[in-house]
Amino acid sequence: MPPPLPPEMLDLIVGFLHDEPGALKACCLTSKSWVHRTRQHLFAHLEFSLESHVKLWEEIFPDPSNSPARYTRSLSIRMSRVVTPVGGSVGGWIRTFSGVIRLHVDMRGYDGGGTEASLASLHGLSPTLKSLHLAYGSSVISSEIFGLVCSFPLLEDLALFAVCNNSKLDGWNIPSTSPKFTGCLDLRIINGIRPAVRQLLEMSSGLHFSKISVSCLEEDIESMMDLVSECSDTLESLSIYYYLPGAGFLPPFVVGQYLTAAFGCSRTQHTFS
Amino acid sequence: MGVVERSTPFLDLSKLTKLKDVVFGCTGSNVQRITMTLQTAESINLEQITIRSPTAFRKQIVESSYQEWQDLDRLLLRFWTSRSVRPKIWFKDEKEGCDLKHLVPRLLPELSRRGVVDLVECS
Repeated sequence: MPPPLPPEMLDLIVGFLHDEPGALKACCLTSKSWVHRTRQHLFAHLEFSLESHVKLWEEIFPDPSNSPARYTRSLSIRMSRVVTPVGGSVGGWIRTFSGVIRLHVDMRGYDGGGTEASLASLHGLSPTLKSLHLAYGSSVISSEIFGLVCSFPLLEDLALFAVCNNSKLDGWNIPSTSPKFTGCLDLRIINGIRPAVRQLLEMSSGLHFSKISVSCLEEDIESMMDLVSECSDTLESLSIYYYLPGAGFLPPFVVGQYLTAAFGCSRTQHTFS
Repeated sequence: MGVVERSTPFLDLSKLTKLKDVVFGCTGSNVQRITMTLQTAESINLEQITIRSPTAFRKQIVESSYQEWQDLDRLLLRFWTSRSVRPKIWFKDEKEGCDLKHLVPRLLPELSRRGVVDLVECS
């Protein structure tokens, strides 16, 4: 019997199949020793967009210790189940994704019946998180957003897309530590960016973004100036999209760009179903 | 350079010494603000200026901002001659209205004449 190939070679071979889920699934069934190396690719990019996806995930992987969630590096959740009314709790399924580097959460569908949403279940989800994209409506208040942002110490990229801004800061205290913020900042917030910029400027570690992309109203210019000044030593790329007050919504191209940036993925992304 | 209204709020880029790339979303009515902002760009690292047009411009907007486009044309030409920064115009091809692709030779005549503006169609 010929000697087996070195594990590094097998990793390389399986790596070539990273965007072919059918082949990866077949490899996963080849032998126990292949499970780990195929799961790294099969579960690298996951998207949950329906309640049924979560239900299925919980049924198939009831034991967090055996869950392939630890292989996930990019997680996209386009549903409201991840948020709960303040004081409520959510299932532990989300907490198993502890190795995520990029997290996209679209909470625009959340309707708490007038109750504000809590993002506590996402706090510190992954200590290595580097990129956070949030889309939300009026039921998610600013203190929840920035409480979540500050729970990721290594965060580099931040994108906030608010279709209806609620700048309430109930119970908000400026944290003693704040993320690195050395990557990209993308702000697209209806009713203006001022409250969000004010919160960002209060971050104790300062802002060091190298890229800023902002959609703003004319009255946001002063906030933009503050933001740009704060990053003047590091900023290399700046994109500004003005829109008119009373337009009711961001121009379609801005929304399209955001959604592509937030939820489009250059690599294959598997919807869990 | 044409006379610009100082009341128009604009962004000051003079402190951004590392700035390499700047993008403006242009609705056709904010050309003056783009020019005023660009006038403050002093970064020696500046490599790219991009103007993105999301939709076709309304004819009235084009007519009313014609002089502002001429100012922008002169400024962009100055960036080209002094720093070799070649501007890029992103446009969306529209069946109705005046899309930027067809307007560029009229709005940015000097850049167009010298062939130092890149037109890119976005989907």
